[in-house]
Amino acid sequence: MITGFLLNGFDTRARVVFALLIAIAILVPAANLLLPPDHPLHVPTYMVTLMGKYFAYAMLALSVDLVWGYCGILSLGHGAFFALGGYAMGMYLMRQIGTRGVYADPILPDFMVFLNWKELPWFWYGFDQFWFAALMIVLVPGTLAFVFGWFAFRSRVTGVYLSIITQALTYALLLAFFRNDMGFGGNNGLTDFKDILGYNIQADGTRATLFALTVLAVAIAFALASAVTRSKLGKVLVGVRDAESRTRFLGYRVENYKLFVWTLSAVMAGIAGALYVPQIGIINPSEFDPANSIEAVIWVAVGGRGTLVGAIVGAITVNFGKTWFTGALPELWLFALGGLFIFVTLFLPKGIVGTVQAWWAGKRASAPAATLKPEPAE
Amino acid sequence: MRFLSILIAALWLALSTAVSPAAAAVADEDLKRLVDALGVGGFSEAEAAINALVATGDDRVSAILDRFGEGDLYTRKADKSVFIAEKAGSDFKLLDPVTGAEAGVVSKGEIEKIKVNNRIRRAIAAAVGSLTLRSPDAAIRRSAAEAVMKSKDAAAIPALDAAIEAETDPAIKQIMVAARAAAVLESDLPEADKIAAVEMIGGLGTRDAMSMLAAYTAVEGPVGEAAASAARTIESSLLVWDAAQNVWYGLSLGSVLLLAAIGLAITFGVMGVINMAHGEMVMIGAYTTFAVQEIIRTSAPGLFDYSLLIALPLAFIVAGGIGILIERSVIRWLYGRPLETLLATWGVSLVLQQTVRSIFGAQNKEVGNPSWMSGSFTIGELSITWSRLWIIVFAMVVFAGLLAVLKRTYFGLQTRAVTQNRQMASAMGIRTPWVDAFTFGLGSGIAGIAGVALSQIDNVSPNLGQGYIIDSFMVVVFGGVGNLWGTFVGAMTLGVANKFLEPYAGAVLGKILLLVFIILFIQKRPRGLFALKGRAIEA
Amino acid sequence: MTDKAEGTLLYLDGVNKTFDGFRAINNLSLVLAPGEMRAIIGPNGAGKTTMMDIITGKTKPDTGDVLFEGSTDLTRLDEAKIANLGIGRKFQKPTVFESHTVEDNIALALKARRGPWATLFHRTGKAEQDRIDELLTTTRLIDKRRFLAARLSHGQKQWLEIGMLLAQEPRLLLVDEPAAGMTDAETAETAILLKEIARTQSVVVVEHDMTFVRDLGVKVTVLHEGSVLAEGTLDAVSSNPKVVEVYLGR
Repeated sequence: MITGFLLNGFDTRARVVFALLIAIAILVPAANLLLPPDHPLHVPTYMVTLMGKYFAYAMLALSVDLVWGYCGILSLGHGAFFALGGYAMGMYLMRQIGTRGVYADPILPDFMVFLNWKELPWFWYGFDQFWFAALMIVLVPGTLAFVFGWFAFRSRVTGVYLSIITQALTYALLLAFFRNDMGFGGNNGLTDFKDILGYNIQADGTRATLFALTVLAVAIAFALASAVTRSKLGKVLVGVRDAESRTRFLGYRVENYKLFVWTLSAVMAGIAGALYVPQIGIINPSEFDPANSIEAVIWVAVGGRGTLVGAIVGAITVNFGKTWFTGALPELWLFALGGLFIFVTLFLPKGIVGTVQAWWAGKRASAPAATLKPEPAE
Repeated sequence: MRFLSILIAALWLALSTAVSPAAAAVADEDLKRLVDALGVGGFSEAEAAINALVATGDDRVSAILDRFGEGDLYTRKADKSVFIAEKAGSDFKLLDPVTGAEAGVVSKGEIEKIKVNNRIRRAIAAAVGSLTLRSPDAAIRRSAAEAVMKSKDAAAIPALDAAIEAETDPAIKQIMVAARAAAVLESDLPEADKIAAVEMIGGLGTRDAMSMLAAYTAVEGPVGEAAASAARTIESSLLVWDAAQNVWYGLSLGSVLLLAAIGLAITFGVMGVINMAHGEMVMIGAYTTFAVQEIIRTSAPGLFDYSLLIALPLAFIVAGGIGILIERSVIRWLYGRPLETLLATWGVSLVLQQTVRSIFGAQNKEVGNPSWMSGSFTIGELSITWSRLWIIVFAMVVFAGLLAVLKRTYFGLQTRAVTQNRQMASAMGIRTPWVDAFTFGLGSGIAGIAGVALSQIDNVSPNLGQGYIIDSFMVVVFGGVGNLWGTFVGAMTLGVANKFLEPYAGAVLGKILLLVFIILFIQKRPRGLFALKGRAIEA
Repeated sequence: MTDKAEGTLLYLDGVNKTFDGFRAINNLSLVLAPGEMRAIIGPNGAGKTTMMDIITGKTKPDTGDVLFEGSTDLTRLDEAKIANLGIGRKFQKPTVFESHTVEDNIALALKARRGPWATLFHRTGKAEQDRIDELLTTTRLIDKRRFLAARLSHGQKQWLEIGMLLAQEPRLLLVDEPAAGMTDAETAETAILLKEIARTQSVVVVEHDMTFVRDLGVKVTVLHEGSVLAEGTLDAVSSNPKVVEVYLGR
């Protein structure tokens, strides 16, 4: 049943994208590790890490697209799930430092010794085990999303109201994680990681592997999201997006559908965060900043919401632009980003991929043989 | 505390001005003779001499005694005459204690310091106290009584009794009675007197009275019990004052929230548009104030006290103009697509922030308080700063003004019509696009004048607006969209709740709790406290 | 519950609903027998749409009984539950999923398990495909099956929505102004379609168009200011002086 479900969601385009992602996951690390540094196709390690970051963002964008593009829930707080996944991974990495920290405490991370804590808080138990951390990466964002969504969707909070309370959610978490006595390193967050599963986190091999895993995760997330959106459930979701009350009067319990896709999306964002942290080497409360979550939304808008490829394309394009801008013209970055928000909403509502698709479909529709082709979804 | 320090300063001032010769009641020579007596014999004799000086009632006596207490009085060995000696190199310069005239420079060996011990110091304090207690100047009498209240000197009781008898100002009399009670508690008077004193102090109900009593609650016997019970009574009344203080802080925070949110309430209420750049309008208002003050500083410093009054209309025009510009250029293309509007206006907010950063720099800007905005005063145990008071008043005026505009003007009528039924309003010949533009301008303009007020209590930086945007939304959503009174109640409720949570949960946790509360609240009442009901709103 | 409700399909008694002081529904009582088709007419603001909202669970009445099949209390259920009980509703403004194809619109409405897990792993079988074809034929949309619903004309959207209603296989259909915005020919065809439906299912039609109501030829209930003003054949109610006064003004 599951394989059938997955295959059902795999049309030609999805297969091409999936294959492309797998190729990137193999070729880029190979070009980094196997080719000599002076080879023209050699990819330097910093570039591998940078691209790894982009792909982690791409996965976050996929999760935002799933709820916004397909179900019409504009989340301004998906960064919270991303950051929670990141913190769960960060806690594991913290526990791996052991006696190599500045204070050389075998159990307590440096910041706790610094704060004069005598023992490990209960919620840090178990994070020395990778399997436990991996479980938490899924469970913590998933549970928060489930509880939040259960309340929000049942009471039919929709539209801008929902957007604003998701923003308040991440804002509240931002404030909470800034506090030292929360036990997550306060302002400085978690950093100075040494190794992951026994491998040196700075080594080229580890970084290339992390990159490959990140792209693989994006590929799997993409496949899963394709399957979900092409299933009947996906059609119900689009129905909810376009005519919520019609869906309700057809007998679908809308809140359950929203809750399903919302929780799925949060888990996806959490995993993205967990892949992001070991590559970046730090997780701190600024990841909860509402501005980050809104930025993730614009990636999706730029790429084209309601198209999964668009989310990936948008995240990578915008972040590449950000890297270039902040390096070359740092003062202009916010102008560019702000302008992008305005431009995309006013002139490119379908995003890059959506616009290309519309143009393509228009071309095909004008051909005499294909009069019955559906128009692209808005 | 500040009140006390001011009093002490006043006391000091009063004592130093008391040396004016015009107020002399006794001839200089007679007084000098009495001063000379201070250097004769032992401590008992000195005490007698002090009392003799006091008996003259001369205004200069307290100053002389002060110097005595500080150990500045010396006897010239040659003639047993008493002088104030000040160190001048290795020698001493002598000053006449009565007239202040210089009396030559002598070597250390020619003079002898008049010894002062605690007994003498007490006698001096009591003497000075009783002297000033009967001063013709009310301020001096008041501060003298306050001084006794602090020193709790039992020796001052007779002087106080006499002063209370003679006192005509009821306020000062009250302080004297309290001071006497404080002194009684330190004296060896019978217990009944002490209990009466405890009750007297308990009746004051102030924080000082509370700390005064705290010293006696551990005393064995009925005095201790009385003190403890009086302290408890005060404590509960102080709790009320604390609550009142919290309400005050809460109202002041609520006014800030109201100012920040009210413009948003209009734009959101009328157009259903979430303007994420709303906070930036506040920021622009604050920078307008800064710019106005800069110009005044360089060209017309005398106008500084009017800077805010000048900034208000300018901020309204600047922010309102930018608001209309945003509406005409961006928002009007996005009506009916609230989520896209939200994103586009977020983009606008980024651009505005960066623009201000480019023009004014990223640092915080110093915006001065005019004189009428600085300082504070107290009512009972409430401490009230002028800036907070003015902001509350200002928020109320803005709110009332806005209500008047919406309820009484033709523009307001059109706005309300569009809020309730856009199509019908349009069919009635109202130009809804213009109503939208001007409403947006009005909301933005009000955000601008909110910025003028906030520049007085917050850091003026390009990020100023971001700090308010979520709070403002919470207020609007909590209060209910499309209802200004809802915004008012929402702002005040959240402000007061915030300030009540803070002492228990800390500022940050309090804020988190409040956010969580609002999130839960929206679940229960998705349309806020004062929601518009009926079918129209669901269409 | 009430004995009087026994044997009825839909039973409303003493229903009241107030919006901000405005009495939208005022002591409304209405009984519908199984298999019956009923037309409801009334001027604007008579409470027709609010009545539909109450039956379908969108609005909760302040007081009164709303019973389905004599025993199920509809006031305690939400829209989805009521829809699954077998009450289908067509909105006044045609509401279809515009970014889905016509076929998908029908497929989503087909009677099937409605939970997220069921739909996630759902695969369209032969029986379902046949049923979809049948419904598309009934609603004359078979040659537009791959069109996005957004491309349909107003009348076609009305029919698509009726098709979706039929796909639900409800026992009671609530149809709000099915003929609005249709040409005369379309209106006549719609009447035929509804009569066909009424052979197997109960139908409540709210309509302004008197010709259309006459075409239906069923018992008519006149609503006015939230309560029933008159009931009977169209001829009977149109000669009722109270009805004439309401419609022609005073």
